[in-house]
Amino acid sequence: MISSRAFRVNLSWLLFMLALGVLPLVLRSNYIISVMLMVALFGVLSIGMGLLLGQAGMFSLAHPTWFGMGAYIAAILSVRGLTSPLLGIIIAALCVAVLSWLIGAPILRLRGFYLANATFAMVVIAQIAAGQLSKLTGGHEGLLGIPYLTVGGFVFKKDIHFYYLSWALCIACSWFCSNLMNTRLGRAIRSFHDNESASSSLGVNIPRYKLQIFVLTAVMASLSGSLFCFYLRFVTPESFGFPLLVELIMMVIIGGIESIRGALLGSFVVLWLTEFIHAYLGKVLPAMTGEVDAIFFGLLIILVLIFMPRGLIGWVEPILNLSRRRDERL
Amino acid sequence: MKDCKIQQAVSDPSALTPPLFEVGSLSKHFGGIQALKGVNLALGENGIVALIGPNGAGKSTFINVTTGTYSPDSGTVKLHGKNIAGWPAHEITRQGIARTFQLQELFMNMTVLENAMAGCFVNGKAGLFASGLKWPSSRAEENHIREEAYENLKVVGLEKKAAASVPALPLGERKMLGIARTLGTRPRLMMLDEPAGGLAAHEVSRLADLIFTFKEKGLSVLVVEHNMPFVMSISEWVIVLDYGIKISEGPPNFVKNDPSVIKAYLGEED
Repeated sequence: MISSRAFRVNLSWLLFMLALGVLPLVLRSNYIISVMLMVALFGVLSIGMGLLLGQAGMFSLAHPTWFGMGAYIAAILSVRGLTSPLLGIIIAALCVAVLSWLIGAPILRLRGFYLANATFAMVVIAQIAAGQLSKLTGGHEGLLGIPYLTVGGFVFKKDIHFYYLSWALCIACSWFCSNLMNTRLGRAIRSFHDNESASSSLGVNIPRYKLQIFVLTAVMASLSGSLFCFYLRFVTPESFGFPLLVELIMMVIIGGIESIRGALLGSFVVLWLTEFIHAYLGKVLPAMTGEVDAIFFGLLIILVLIFMPRGLIGWVEPILNLSRRRDERL
Repeated sequence: MKDCKIQQAVSDPSALTPPLFEVGSLSKHFGGIQALKGVNLALGENGIVALIGPNGAGKSTFINVTTGTYSPDSGTVKLHGKNIAGWPAHEITRQGIARTFQLQELFMNMTVLENAMAGCFVNGKAGLFASGLKWPSSRAEENHIREEAYENLKVVGLEKKAAASVPALPLGERKMLGIARTLGTRPRLMMLDEPAGGLAAHEVSRLADLIFTFKEKGLSVLVVEHNMPFVMSISEWVIVLDYGIKISEGPPNFVKNDPSVIKAYLGEED
């Protein structure tokens, strides 16, 4: 039974990757590719956010900051010619790992809304700092002149290059995280979400694993941010503030907060819906401007919370019957 | 009190073997309430000891303080001669003390087997990277943990419900799952917080059998309980708390007839 389940899981992974691989060859649209690569980059963020909020029960809102740091550190290093872009990405990830460790160690002693407040303050502080340190970051005008990402002589120039790179990162992250959540550590993480005193009575060092998952998701966000900056070859502080945070929360709520696939689905749905709203709603209701998507998503979140508390994935999975049932998830 | 001390010297299980678990003048207060006041006790290897007392006597506080949920105001808690007073709960668990909870505190979002597997946490070593990258060591460990958890479910007779979700279990089975989960920590000393509360008669007798099998396996058991027939039938030594003070201890028959115990439970005659 276990082997057939493992086979089915591997098969669904394989089909998913195959579909992603073939997609750009079938639909030769640069527009679709560029949105789909954003789905991957934001997917990495929403997976991390979902792990923290949904599985570990840590109300951390610091994600836009790690994303922004990954982008800015890699960008600054390569703009100044200090390192190659690839080395810049690695250094950015290491910096974010160390910083999130240093910040997480004290801040994760807070719980619930106190943690949300403290991490939200971080987002605001980081965004203001990025705007004000104009000699380093280019200030509010943004940082220009980011070179192309080159790896071993190959230059990532086109959208299609970034499409495959971003999905490689995204699939690697979701594979890593789903492995993690199905083992001893993952159970420990879910157990302290459920009941902290029972969890620690079973020998789980809660602060330690909270910190580990916090750093892990921060590094994932940093890698995604680095790719983001080399794709756009331009960064501004505005990309890493409150609107991004709202978008991420929307993704995990709409997609499904409890699972990795849910978070990924959330990224897909939110980004494509935004595209459709911008493309078509202006034609239907010309008086509406850019803010219309806020109203639309507000309504959507309310509807999802009322009718699909487990998110879209809780509704889609039984239909596709791809989901392993709960008893089989072991 | 004099009788009590003589009795202790004769048949205290801790006097015969080197004490496994020793508590010295343990105190804890919450605001103005002195929940524990200079409590002493000692437990030998593979003994069954009951901790009883009226409501609010400090029994649950005793478990909470000795297993690290709260830290004591003063006093010592020694396991194998090592003072673990004030250690965090997860460290104390690794030293070999396991506990169950009055309200089970099971993980409601997990299946029965997953709960038992969560109990085996301390038996694994695989870190973040080994688990995430699915290294062979991590896979082997997972298989091992699954088997051990399944064995622990068998011990309490829940192996057929391995795939069930916790909210679907009746109270008796939840209590058993709570015990199976703590078995995963491979304890030397097990503290059961009201394991018989709310159970039907046949479930209570199964629980008693289970506790005897633990003793046979070399485990020590400390039971906090209100069900007196149950306590009297299983325990070798009974300790009575009242208002945070140990008022009596001895074999069940001695405690049952101790005037100070009767006074604590029934009040004083005028």
